[in-house]
Amino acid sequence: MSTLTLISDPQTATALLPEFTLIVGITLLIIIPNLGKGTFRLPIPNTNIRLPYFLGGERYAFTSSPRIPGVISVFTLLFSTSLALWSQMQNPLSDSNVWCISITGEAFNSCVGMIEPSLLKIDGFSRLLEIVFYGALMLCGVAMWSRMPATPRFMIHAQVLAGRREDERIAKLLDNRRQVDFHLLLLMVALGMSVVALANDLFVLFIGLELASLSSYVLVAFMKETDEAPEAGMKYFIVGSVASAIGLYGISLLYLWNGNLQISDLASSWQAMDSIDPLALVGLGFIVVTIGFKVSAAPFHLAVPDAYTGASSPVAGVLATASKAMGFVVLLRVLVSITMPESGEAFWVPIVGLLAAVTMTWGNFGALSSESPKRMLAYSSVAHAGYLLAAVAALGLNASREGDHVVAELIVAAMLFHLTVLVLFKLGSFLVLSMLESEGRGSKLEDLYGLAKREPLIATALFIFMLSLAGVPPLSGFLSKLLLVSGIVDATIHNTMNFDDGIIAVIRSLHWVFFLALLVFLNSALSLFYYLRVGWVMFFENPPTRKRLVYAPFLRITIMLCMVGTLAFGIGPLADHLLTLVSNAAEAFFG
Amino acid sequence: MDLTMFGNPLTILTLGPICAGFAFMLVAWAAPPSKRKEISQYIRLLIFSFSLLLLSLSTLMFLESYSGISWTSLALNEYVYDNCANASIAIEAGGCSLVDGFGVSWHVGVDGLSFPMVWLTTLLIPIAILVEWNAKKGAQFHSLILMMEGALIGVFVSLDLFVFYTFWELTLIPMFFLILLWGGEDRKYAAQKFFIYTFTASVLMLLGILVMYYFTRVPVWEGNITGRAFDITLMASSSNNLGSAFLGGFGMQKAVFLLLLVGFAAKMPSVPVHTWLPDAHVQAPTAGSMLLAGVMLKMGAYGFLRIAVELLPGAMVHYQLLLIVLGMISLVYGAMVCLGQTNLKRMVAYSSVSHMGLIFIGIATMQPLGIAGAIFMMLAHGIISPYLFAVCGAFKHHYHTLEIGSMRGIAKFSPWLGGHMMTAWMASLGLPLMAGFVAEVAIMIAFWMAFGWWVILPALTLIITATYYLWSMQRTIFEGGEEGELPDSLHGDEPVDVSWHENSGMFILAVFAILLGVLPFIFFDMMSSYSYEFVNEILLDVLNEVIP
Repeated sequence: MSTLTLISDPQTATALLPEFTLIVGITLLIIIPNLGKGTFRLPIPNTNIRLPYFLGGERYAFTSSPRIPGVISVFTLLFSTSLALWSQMQNPLSDSNVWCISITGEAFNSCVGMIEPSLLKIDGFSRLLEIVFYGALMLCGVAMWSRMPATPRFMIHAQVLAGRREDERIAKLLDNRRQVDFHLLLLMVALGMSVVALANDLFVLFIGLELASLSSYVLVAFMKETDEAPEAGMKYFIVGSVASAIGLYGISLLYLWNGNLQISDLASSWQAMDSIDPLALVGLGFIVVTIGFKVSAAPFHLAVPDAYTGASSPVAGVLATASKAMGFVVLLRVLVSITMPESGEAFWVPIVGLLAAVTMTWGNFGALSSESPKRMLAYSSVAHAGYLLAAVAALGLNASREGDHVVAELIVAAMLFHLTVLVLFKLGSFLVLSMLESEGRGSKLEDLYGLAKREPLIATALFIFMLSLAGVPPLSGFLSKLLLVSGIVDATIHNTMNFDDGIIAVIRSLHWVFFLALLVFLNSALSLFYYLRVGWVMFFENPPTRKRLVYAPFLRITIMLCMVGTLAFGIGPLADHLLTLVSNAAEAFFG
Repeated sequence: MDLTMFGNPLTILTLGPICAGFAFMLVAWAAPPSKRKEISQYIRLLIFSFSLLLLSLSTLMFLESYSGISWTSLALNEYVYDNCANASIAIEAGGCSLVDGFGVSWHVGVDGLSFPMVWLTTLLIPIAILVEWNAKKGAQFHSLILMMEGALIGVFVSLDLFVFYTFWELTLIPMFFLILLWGGEDRKYAAQKFFIYTFTASVLMLLGILVMYYFTRVPVWEGNITGRAFDITLMASSSNNLGSAFLGGFGMQKAVFLLLLVGFAAKMPSVPVHTWLPDAHVQAPTAGSMLLAGVMLKMGAYGFLRIAVELLPGAMVHYQLLLIVLGMISLVYGAMVCLGQTNLKRMVAYSSVSHMGLIFIGIATMQPLGIAGAIFMMLAHGIISPYLFAVCGAFKHHYHTLEIGSMRGIAKFSPWLGGHMMTAWMASLGLPLMAGFVAEVAIMIAFWMAFGWWVILPALTLIITATYYLWSMQRTIFEGGEEGELPDSLHGDEPVDVSWHENSGMFILAVFAILLGVLPFIFFDMMSSYSYEFVNEILLDVLNEVIP
């Protein structure tokens, strides 16, 4: 692919506008903090003529301010989100919004009939995921504005008191460097994730996956002030890279088997097989291991609680929402796009179903027994992965229903809806924890004691997030679970079924996947206990101090917006809009 | 004046109090501490007049000559002030949909079953405010009560199970805070127990509702991606059309019925899931107890009738015996436990369990008269039990104790309080010409019609009821010789009588307890027309289908 075509082709440029915005943002992030009064001396003897070239040297106060990197990254992400949202809002299903980028960098309006292999595909599905990814990362960026001093703030203060203004300037500059590092990595994660969402080729998908993963390993280890962060980052890195290596090996096996990694090509070869080729099966199994790590499904989730606890809260929130969404995209691409048979049950349904059951139950029991709120949220995110996996298992049944509704579309729409609203309430609760973290608390349940007496609004927001995670109507968490369960029920129960012959006969006649729906319900009921416990200690225990939390206006506004979104996407016109959006995306996924 | 002038009156009755309560709460919260007391008095007046306004609105709806509604000629599944009549068409047109995507609509309406409950709620709210006129942190207290009104009315008027369930859960929140922040010594325990019990039960109910939702396939309209709806009227039509094939068969109907039964029985409450009630009542503030006993318990009975019985009549017929047994146990056990209580409020709470058992029995007779009697019992108990709790509250307030036997001859010291206690106690034990009597007689006659001489069993229990009421009343206000005996908790202070606001609140309740006993037909007619319609249209068909 020539870079020149990529930029010069107007169609490609339009189609990839959000990604290009990200690249521009990354470039700006590198250049702007380096602007300074740098000059160089013209090499003429006996003269001292200096030409300014504005890079290096003494930095300008404005460009080296610690605020600047965060502002750049948040505005880049905001701009990309709005671009993606804008293009998703206008007739998302029409052909004019579907683009296939070929290997030469040219854009076509349809992937069918392309001569060269296509690398990226932009449609309603990938646009929606872009919105989810960028939105989550943007929230993380905003939270970091008030969250990450290079040297602890009290030390700077002491230096200023001691009159060491020079040190203060250096500290500020270091702070700026550190902010640049963080936000650069954040934008890298965004780029990697959107490549995953767009990829139409397993290899491109893997590159995107690795770009996002490697950056996120560093993000986890970023808070060097604490002892846990480097340890957590190391653990996450080792487990994650082993998982990635296994996945890469799986991809190479698939390449051996098929001779090319185009998703559509793999799918047609898969359909053409008489019996499953062991090479392909082993390759696929290895890829599923990688995905299992990414979506934190049991038994690949063991590094997750440690990673979330060690990472700073906003980063943990990104891992729990955007990273998980990315994992599910890969899962859908690999399992559904490639191996779904024309009719009948897919061969992986028992495996995914078992994974789902184990994951949600293990996650819930883990959350019940964990004392730290971050650990609890980590385990609850494992449980949520289980709910989504149950939906994937139902998807594999390949059920068809009379009428113009397609069960598969309902299930994918439900998954997308869940992943979208998860950004609001899951990340929202991590944002609240990050406010506590900036005063050194947030790792024990005791730190939440009496939060309502210190900060009534913030505590109410956290309580609503908890209720939504548990799935209490009419919040958006309920709606997403309702849709997931609807999908499973639709795939397993038919109008013609008769429930008249007593309960045993009914249980026998049901497909076993149906009981996953029941398990989702039971697990949600169980999860109420640990979610409500948070509410209880916030409202009815005595706070350790009466001091208000850190003054972070943008973070507060963001948390409030998340709370309003949690309510508004549960019921009312906004919920309707989002449902239309996700069902269009689901249609695009299959269409 | 047209009642629909400002929009659907039911929507106003539901959302108005919630929004107003929320606004008052914010004002009270934002007020500067120096002016808090003054502002809270203004807020109290405003809230009181607002609740009176809502009462007059519901009363005007009730007056046939004014609103032009003939309450006694409604067909089954025909609702008054229905904003979404013929739901399958109206939702499709977007007339009342809330979220198209999964079939939730804002569908409200009242009929002979739900309207008495709506009116009762609007009546009790101003009285509860009157009785707790001088509550601590009054502004917040009264705003919570106002929010409570909206949530309660929402339960009674919504005809969409999703909205119904939301309001059902929403009523928990104000009540939880009323108990927790204004309750007695053991309030934390009581509030927790109250919340966990009712929440767990309602999760089971939610499971039942979801099963019904999954089986309610509706003509697919644009944007509904699940192809189902929560609308009760749509469910009712498919339940009527499919009969025993509704929910895929009779087996599933029975399972769903049991799930719903658990949810509603815990709210009513019926033995064996009643143990939260005495604790909650004893700890709750007076106004909280009044609303809890007066309206919240009726939510259970109402939901049971509207959802479980109306939509799953086949299962209802099948479980008739279970209902009778549950009702009898509640009736007898509640009354027996009352005999052993030494705390007035605890006794009154257990008497509620007993009376709720009577409602179960009335429904289980499956006679038009029995069901109408049960509904009338809901209304009568909704007026009498707040009266009882107001009296208990007055004892607690002026004598600082609720122990039976620690005070004697109170009628001499507080003649008004003694008079009110006598009226309330008499009304509750079923004195003829008072509201409770009418309901009991109707249920007994229906029981006799259904089961013959077995009627002796429930009838004998009424004797126990009379015993514990008479005994506690006699010990408290009459006994004690010429001098009487003041409780120790008064610490030698002068005993005082009830204050003017308590007195007026209780007086209104007394008037209605007698009025409904003398002229029961003002509400009984619409109730019996509902129950006749229900039995004739649905239950007889089901009986013919199930029994041969």
